[in-house]
Amino acid sequence: MEKTLSPFTGYAAAAGATLLCTAAGFAMTPRFDIVNIAMVYLLAVVVIALRYSRGASIFSAVLCVATFDYVFVPPEGGFSINDIQYLLTFGVMLAVALIISALTERNRHQTEAKAALAIEAESERVRSTLLASISHDLRTPLAVIVGASSGLVEEGEKLKPEERIALTKSVYRQARDMSELVDKVLQMTRLQAGFMELRRDWTALPEIVGSVLARLEERLSAHIVMVDLAPELPLLNVDAILIEQVLANLVENAARYTPAGTPVRMSAALRGDEVIVSVEDRGPGIAESDLEQVFAKFHRGNGGSKGVEHAGIGVGLGLAICRAVIGLHGGQVWVERPAGGGAAFRFTLRVEKVPAAPVEVPDAPVEAPEAPVEAPEAPVKAPAAWA
Amino acid sequence: MTALRATILVVEDAPEIRRFLSSSLGAEGFKVVESATARRGAIDASTHKPDLAIVDLGLPDYDGIELIRQIRAWSAMPVLVLSARAREDAKIEALDAGADDYITKPFGVGELLARVRVALRHAVRPSSGAGALKLGNVTIDLDGRQALRQGRKVHLTPIEFRLIACLAKQSGMLVTQKQLLTEVWGPTHATDTHYLRIYMKQLRDKFEADPVRPKHFITETGVGYRLVVDE
Repeated sequence: MEKTLSPFTGYAAAAGATLLCTAAGFAMTPRFDIVNIAMVYLLAVVVIALRYSRGASIFSAVLCVATFDYVFVPPEGGFSINDIQYLLTFGVMLAVALIISALTERNRHQTEAKAALAIEAESERVRSTLLASISHDLRTPLAVIVGASSGLVEEGEKLKPEERIALTKSVYRQARDMSELVDKVLQMTRLQAGFMELRRDWTALPEIVGSVLARLEERLSAHIVMVDLAPELPLLNVDAILIEQVLANLVENAARYTPAGTPVRMSAALRGDEVIVSVEDRGPGIAESDLEQVFAKFHRGNGGSKGVEHAGIGVGLGLAICRAVIGLHGGQVWVERPAGGGAAFRFTLRVEKVPAAPVEVPDAPVEAPEAPVEAPEAPVKAPAAWA
Repeated sequence: MTALRATILVVEDAPEIRRFLSSSLGAEGFKVVESATARRGAIDASTHKPDLAIVDLGLPDYDGIELIRQIRAWSAMPVLVLSARAREDAKIEALDAGADDYITKPFGVGELLARVRVALRHAVRPSSGAGALKLGNVTIDLDGRQALRQGRKVHLTPIEFRLIACLAKQSGMLVTQKQLLTEVWGPTHATDTHYLRIYMKQLRDKFEADPVRPKHFITETGVGYRLVVDE
C-alpha cells in the first residue's frame, strides 16, 4: 500500500489515461453513441482517483471533460456555446473524482494506522522476548556468582584451597560471560536504533584476523586454528572495530559449539570486486531449516541444530550483530553446510580503490651499502594491492 | 624497581573499583593514593607526586581527559586511562591528551598489572630512541640505525626505520595512528592510515615469525599500534 510516488506521477498518469481514452473514443466513434465515450472518460477518472492524489484526480476530471468536449462533441475540434450543457458532465466527473479520492484517502489512512499498530506490536513483542531472554541468560550467571561468592565469604575459612580456587574461577568466568552479553545487547540496541555510524578507515584484514586470534587465544586453545589468507588481499575501507567484532563473534561461536580438538579455519580471498571471509568448523553444523533463522535476532541454537543443550541468547545476538554490521557495510553474511560437514559462515566486503601509497626513494643513504642484503625488496613501494 | 615502593595515584569515583585496584596494587608492593574526584585527583597528583596515575574517564566533577591535560601541564608521569566506554573516540582523545595507555572496563588484574609495569619501566628508563631493541632474533641498533639478524644486516628503508623508532620511544605502550603518521610522514599525512597499514605489513614480514600472529608489532584495532620488545 505504501507507495512513494512523486507528485507528478499522478498528473502524468492522468494525462496518459486521457490520451488512452481519446484513442479508444476514436475507435468507438462511428458505432457508439457519444454518451458511451463519456463513460470511458469517467472510468479513467475513477481509476486515477483510486490510485493517485486528489490533485491528480481533479486534474484528470478537467482534462477528460475538456478533451471529450473538444474532440468528440460537435462541432468536433472546438468549443461552442452549446457546450455549456457539458458543464454538468464536468460536474459529475469532478464529484466522482472527489468522492473516490476521499474514500481512497480514508482507506489508505486506515491501512497505514493498522500497519503502524502492527509494527508497534511487533517491536513490543521483540522487546519483551529480548527482555525475557536476557533476564534468563543473566539470571544463570548471577545465580552462580551470588552462590559461589557467598560461599567464599561465609565458608571461606573452611574450604579447601582448591575448592576456593574453583569457586573463585567460576565467579570470574560467569562475570566475564555476563559482561560480554551486556556488551552485545548494548551493541545490538545501538545498531537497531540506527545510532551506529560507521567509522570507515583503510583496514588490513590480516591485522583484524591477528587481533581476533589474540583476543580469543584462551577460547581457541582447545581447537586447531587454521588461517588461510590470500596473499593479494587489498586494503578494505571498513569500520575495523565492527568488522573485528563480526569475525570474533563467528570464531567464538565456532569455538564454543564444536568439540575440542576439531579445526576452526579462518580464510579470506578476493572474488571479483569483493573479499569473501569465511569461518569454518567441523562441528555438528546447522540444520537445513535453520540456515536463515540463525541470524534472526533472538534465535537460540536449540538442542538439535548445533548439538548443544542451550546456546543462550548470546549466540543469536552475536549473529544478529554480524548481519547488521555487514549489512551496514553493504555486504552479505550467510551460513552454508559444506560437503565435508560442519558449518561455514561467510561474509563479503566490497573492495574500493585504495589511494596511492607513499613512494619512498628505495635507497636513501641511511645504511652503509653493505651486501648481501637479507630481505630482497621491491624497489619502489606503490602496491595498490596488499601485496 | 619496586624496592623503592612506587606510588600510584588512582582517580576513580566507584568505591568498589577503587578498593579492588588498591588491594591488587597493594599486594604487588605499590603504595596507593586514592582520589574519588578529578579535583581531588589534581591536588593529590601535585602533593603526592606519584610515579604513575590511573585515571577513570567518567568522573563526577569533570572529565578525566581534562585531568590528564592538567597533569601533563607539569608532569611527565605515566598516565593509564580506565574507560568503561567501548567508544574508541574517548580512548583516542585521552591518548592524544597525553595518556600513555588505556584499559577497558571490565579488566582483569593481570592485564592491569602488566600495563602498570610497562609504564613504570618506561618512566624509569625513558627509551628516547637510543639503545638497542631485540625483536626475536633481530637486534635493532637505534643509534647505529641498523638491524642485524644473527650478524647479518636486515635492510630497512628510512621510513621503516622511523616507524620503528617512533614506536620504540614508547615501547610496550600504545601509540595512536595519528601520532605515528604525524611523526613519520608529517602532519599533512595525519589521516593517511593506509600508509601505516602498508608499512606495518612490511615490518611484520621482516620481523615476525608469523605475520598474522605478531609478537612485536601489535595492532590495537581502530586506535593504534604497540611495539613489544624482548627483554
